[in-house]
Amino acid sequence: MNAPEVAPVVRQLTQPMIDAYAEASGDHNPIHMDEAFARTTPMGGTIAHGMLVLSLISEMMTAAFGERWLAGGSLEVRFRAPARPGDTATARAKAGEPKDGRLRYAVECVSQTDEVLIAGTATVGQ
Amino acid sequence: MTVLTELTAGHVFEPISLTLDAERARAYRNAVGDGLGVYDEAGAVPPLAVAAVALGVLLESVSLPAGTLHVSESLEFRKAVSPGATLECRAVLAQRSVRGGMVVSVIDSEILVDGSAAVTARATVMSPQPS
Repeated sequence: MNAPEVAPVVRQLTQPMIDAYAEASGDHNPIHMDEAFARTTPMGGTIAHGMLVLSLISEMMTAAFGERWLAGGSLEVRFRAPARPGDTATARAKAGEPKDGRLRYAVECVSQTDEVLIAGTATVGQ
Repeated sequence: MTVLTELTAGHVFEPISLTLDAERARAYRNAVGDGLGVYDEAGAVPPLAVAAVALGVLLESVSLPAGTLHVSESLEFRKAVSPGATLECRAVLAQRSVRGGMVVSVIDSEILVDGSAAVTARATVMSPQPS
């Protein structure tokens, strides 16, 4: 079975979204929520949680594969650059050669300037 | 609270038990903007919500030094998790090393539902080395 095309997910990241994510996940690191603190760090301002940005990739794969992703998907990614409030992130996937009975995709999240925020591999059972 | 960079490789975190109820799953989906209907059809929560909430609870028992960065993440979603399921999270500091003044910590975790793994995860974070 060839790997089907996967439709991208595009979403603007906002500070209220980041705050809501912190509340829902329990990750209240001030680098994500406290602008005054974040300005004193090398980041220069608040940044989105990596796992929040990663959720766009998981959503993209869920939309494409449904329950096969929920019970059988895998992700291996590196967080390359921070996403900031106001950024528009695009999750996209490029099909690779299936291996060991699993469909494989090169996945990434990029910013509106095409900066790579997250890059890695997603696999799902055929 | 224990600081992550003070722990040695092999440290086993206190097991965590938590319930990811429908309200919290909905809050997660609202926060990330995931409006897919498949979760309701499958009677499941987003698999990344399971990993994120478990990570959040883990962070209640260990603090991360300011400037800690999430470098990489590996996840396997082995079975769907229903809203309201009780999650048992086991985590271990699998590796700890120092590179260029940064402490690299690799945390392996396994989130079980009804005794079998639903999600396995490996998170790598880098923290400034304590002076």
